[in-house]
Amino acid sequence: MRMRRRLPVPLPPRPDCHVVGAVLQAYLDGELGPKDAEVVAAHLEHCERCGIEQATVTRVIDAIRHQRPDLDPDPVERLGGFVESMIEHGGHAGPCARGD
Amino acid sequence: VHTASWRQVRAREVVGMRIGHRARPAVQARRSDPAVPGTPGTRWALGEAMGDQTDLPHERTVDDPVDALDDRFRAQVLPELEVLYRVARRLTRSPADAEDLVQDALIRAYRGFARFDGRHPRAWLLTILRNTHVNEIRKRRPDLLDDEIAQRLPARGPDGRDDGTSERALRNDFDPLVLDALARLTANHRAVIALVDLDDLSYQEAAEVLGVPVGTVMSRLHRARRKVRAHLEAAGFTEVH
Repeated sequence: MRMRRRLPVPLPPRPDCHVVGAVLQAYLDGELGPKDAEVVAAHLEHCERCGIEQATVTRVIDAIRHQRPDLDPDPVERLGGFVESMIEHGGHAGPCARGD
Repeated sequence: VHTASWRQVRAREVVGMRIGHRARPAVQARRSDPAVPGTPGTRWALGEAMGDQTDLPHERTVDDPVDALDDRFRAQVLPELEVLYRVARRLTRSPADAEDLVQDALIRAYRGFARFDGRHPRAWLLTILRNTHVNEIRKRRPDLLDDEIAQRLPARGPDGRDDGTSERALRNDFDPLVLDALARLTANHRAVIALVDLDDLSYQEAAEVLGVPVGTVMSRLHRARRKVRAHLEAAGFTEVH
């Protein structure tokens, strides 16, 4: 579960563009609590300027996230086997550790 | 159902009392482990500092067999293995070192699991991973100061060399530009981008891995993205009208 960041002061019911701009990154990253996220979403609905900013920042974030490297699944599978072996051996490494 | 105290739970673990069905070696007595949050002598503020928890810590009962504890461990740890390995790859120099690091962290996590409050397993595991890594650096280089160790933590970002990004086929027109922009970032900025955008950690989790305040993660992320954006805009991308 992703931990949300709680703002020190809740957003006002109708924040101005300056306030929304300050929390836009946290909003797009899913770091705002649900109430604050609702307030920001409502502002973005009717504010063209902030809407454009949101679209631009989203495009940049998406472009960066597109660079996520493909992960070799084998080590993760081996680690799953390691967990089972470790549990079976009461918290010790067990025979499948270190690539055995 | 009678709820056992932590002391009772601990006593049961120490004497190896088993209610489960499988015969296994007794779990060794849990000792204080400086790498595991929640064990004596450690600082564990993550999660406790967050005010909007929705999941309650699990409660241990005398009817709670070790098998059930193991099942909880599986349920909370197995889904996080990929993230742990991704982060370990950024902290270490090779895939083999990353796997070793995750294994060491998992052993510590298992031994300290009885004291884990059940909240935010990913953050808990990432803290153990980081502490395990710091301990290993310290063992190899006892001469290093804490600040020097901290500087070694964000070892690699999406720099197009060691993390596989250079091996992938380019997926769209953005890719060469974005890779170029990321390569121009400072190591600190690349590390935050890597953890939040590529490994999908929350701000708080990235802060734990890097050993910096959450506010630092936010500001580095903001600056890093602005630089990437400026790079893309200079090339004519990202403009939305």
